[in-house]
Amino acid sequence: MDKVFLKNLKPLLDAIAEQMELYVPKKLGDYYSFSRYKPADSAEPVFNNIRVSSPAKEFLFPMREMAAVYGGKAETPDIKPFAVFGLKNCDLRGIKILDCVFKEEEFLDPSYVARRDNMFIISSDCFDPAETCFCNMVGGQPFAEEGFDLNLSKVKGGFIVEAGSEKGQKFVKDNMRIFTDLPADAESERDQIRKKSRTRLDEINAEYLLDNPINEIVEGCYDSPLFEEEAGVCVECQGCTRVCPTCHCFYLYDTKQKDYFGKMKMWDSCMRCDYAAVAGGENPRKILGDRSRHRLMHKFVYFLERYGIEMCVGCGRCVEGCAGGSEVRQLLKKLNEELKDKKHTKVTK
Amino acid sequence: MNENPYKPIDAEIIDIIDESPTIKTFVIVPQSEFRFATGQFVELTLPGIGEAPFTPSSSPKETERMDISIMKAGQVTGLLHECGKGQKVGIRGPYGNGYPVDSFVGKEVLIVGGGVGLAPIRSLFLTLVDRIKDFKRVVCRFGARTPEDLIYKESLFGEWPKIDGVDMKLTVDNSDDGWSGNVGVVTTIVKSDDVDINNSAVVICGPPIMMKFATMQALEYGFRPDDIYLSMEKNMSCGIGKCGHCMIGKYYVCKDGPVFTYEQIRKYPKIWD
Repeated sequence: MDKVFLKNLKPLLDAIAEQMELYVPKKLGDYYSFSRYKPADSAEPVFNNIRVSSPAKEFLFPMREMAAVYGGKAETPDIKPFAVFGLKNCDLRGIKILDCVFKEEEFLDPSYVARRDNMFIISSDCFDPAETCFCNMVGGQPFAEEGFDLNLSKVKGGFIVEAGSEKGQKFVKDNMRIFTDLPADAESERDQIRKKSRTRLDEINAEYLLDNPINEIVEGCYDSPLFEEEAGVCVECQGCTRVCPTCHCFYLYDTKQKDYFGKMKMWDSCMRCDYAAVAGGENPRKILGDRSRHRLMHKFVYFLERYGIEMCVGCGRCVEGCAGGSEVRQLLKKLNEELKDKKHTKVTK
Repeated sequence: MNENPYKPIDAEIIDIIDESPTIKTFVIVPQSEFRFATGQFVELTLPGIGEAPFTPSSSPKETERMDISIMKAGQVTGLLHECGKGQKVGIRGPYGNGYPVDSFVGKEVLIVGGGVGLAPIRSLFLTLVDRIKDFKRVVCRFGARTPEDLIYKESLFGEWPKIDGVDMKLTVDNSDDGWSGNVGVVTTIVKSDDVDINNSAVVICGPPIMMKFATMQALEYGFRPDDIYLSMEKNMSCGIGKCGHCMIGKYYVCKDGPVFTYEQIRKYPKIWD
């Protein structure tokens, strides 16, 4: 059976936590963050309406980790099964993008692969998208159709639980005692809620409607002064790349320990001034506008050319997190207008 | 294949040759056999300090040792220059595509090199002369800032120019009393009739400014952009097309390069910066 019904979250989370470490959303003011789930808490766990503020990449590609040990031996952490509850479709799509990079067959990233294989994903439908959400602009939906082990859809009186993998199916089968059969009208209610969320997203982003595919807009406006203009508000905090669920630049550095050496892997940001600099001093993107253009080109053009999907899931974290108030949708809209003008001029010429 | 691409294999520096005031060649013996194609690069680790990308300057035929010529430019290279024989190092790789030597068969190969750019070129040169009959001619135009900055002096003034099928000219930007050769940047010794432009490939490797002008000159002479091969030096850190530092447009220099035709990268701005 692929779909079952769950009245309360706690029995589900308790059952998962019995088997592995479980991370769940915790409300922090208006936002959510992840914290370790403690079954002993008597309170009903939090169900997050929208994505958690921190990106899911933290679970697979930690901010800093030992990528390799050499010149000696060291205990490398044994990666054990773990579960994350509360991921949304944008998070799952972000993981799919990271998979393209770190699970690329030619050079598998061993710790990413180990974490990925050990991750149990419990996603849930979004039913209250934020003003910053724009997954609908980049081919997304506010609910997941793939990429999860279990997915929860909140409906009247509980949740529809759908298994999306063998691991998920096995979990449901082994824990039938916490589930009941689906109420007769639950699925149609779910469909309506999903439709409503989608409509809400379309309303939120109505003012940013674009006339061409984003990759064509960004590439077509490669020489646009708008990138430089956009850089004017940037304070180079690199926040956009930190909170982005798909940004995966990293920096390798070496460390010396008592009886071994280590190669460390740490998040880096293409918005950092010296990011592309070489020892001789050359730096192809020392100008901030060039970096902001490269970031957008990478997301919407280069990654698409290489892997067949764009490197943005429309989660809006970069919009929410920008210290300078930059808004990627506005930039895309402006570029869209510029491209339209360009095309128009061409025709009238 | 090494299971963890970030883990270097152990190696040892067994000899160090002073090439110029700023360039030394390190002879390195990896713990196990190490194969590479000419033009591919490796990440050389100074344990606990850091790593940097270098293209070996020895022939790929040698699998037990490799030469790496290194210019003192930054932190890692500065410390490498202070190392002595017996220093333990680490090697990851080889990475990237290397020179498409087979596609040069039947053609004249014009190699324009400057400064430490002669390092990858030496490996290519040794590869080409090893099967010199496959190519119509190998035409070398090498330069350095001053005569003492020329590396591989013994070969440049010794056997290399004498090899049948090799035509070699040297230049320096500034001369001293003992120099009787050409004075001027390397483009001053590249002439439009050096090779048959319609049946040749140009390989350019050197400091960015030299590569820029040599490329412009080659285009002016009428070389097709896809006959111009450039060894791009960018910030190749992971070497495996993930970390992002070395990107030129959509390309990862570490994986899709480091050798590109001008045709591939001409549309991207600031490739020489």
